[in-house]
Amino acid sequence: MTEDSLVGALVVTHGQLGQELVSAAQAIVGEISYIAAVSIGWNDDVNESKKKIEQAVAEVDQGKGVIILTDMFGGTPSNLSLPLLKRNELEIVTGVNLPMVIKVANQSSTDSLSELVTKVKKQGQSHISIASELLGE
Amino acid sequence: MIRKTLRIKSELGLHARAAAKLVKLTSQFESDIKLSRLNVEEQVDAKSILGILLMAAAKGTEIEVMIDGKDEEMAMEAVVGLVNDRFGEEQ
Repeated sequence: MTEDSLVGALVVTHGQLGQELVSAAQAIVGEISYIAAVSIGWNDDVNESKKKIEQAVAEVDQGKGVIILTDMFGGTPSNLSLPLLKRNELEIVTGVNLPMVIKVANQSSTDSLSELVTKVKKQGQSHISIASELLGE
Repeated sequence: MIRKTLRIKSELGLHARAAAKLVKLTSQFESDIKLSRLNVEEQVDAKSILGILLMAAAKGTEIEVMIDGKDEEMAMEAVVGLVNDRFGEEQ
């Protein structure tokens, strides 16, 4: 583990949702090499999907741990990821949205996996707003 | 500490890509840089994309820039330049 390595991330979702979230985040903050997406198709084989996730985790891991962001707790992408859960090595955050992907992309190199995972959850939640309440209009 | 009021003139407002550009710029300075909507108490960190987005600064919104630190003059000049240049995205 080098001093300035970063926490890797994988967006695992139903269909191409994850790929599009990563693309949108890249359009905003620029190329991000340590975030990848895995698409789980409706008719994909379970064991192959599991393998795809495991391979992708190994690819984004820089030695500082990996966050898997899934679209919905209880959904197949989440369920297939859960067996990989390992405290301080691999954390899973559900309900991914664009602010969460941007937070991972803009992480501080001093953040540990557990610190980042907490920030990502907080960020995702704080960016769900009813616009009229926020703007007082 | 220096402060200045600026108007967002770009068509898309202070949107995600513009916020990313602003963060790239503000992160180069040592000074503490905060933003708020004019006459709104709540401040956001100008070095955080998601913080900036929470201001929801659409076209025409007046924002206050507050900079505190050793390089505050240079930082203010750079921020004013980028905002007035409509984040380098439009004619």
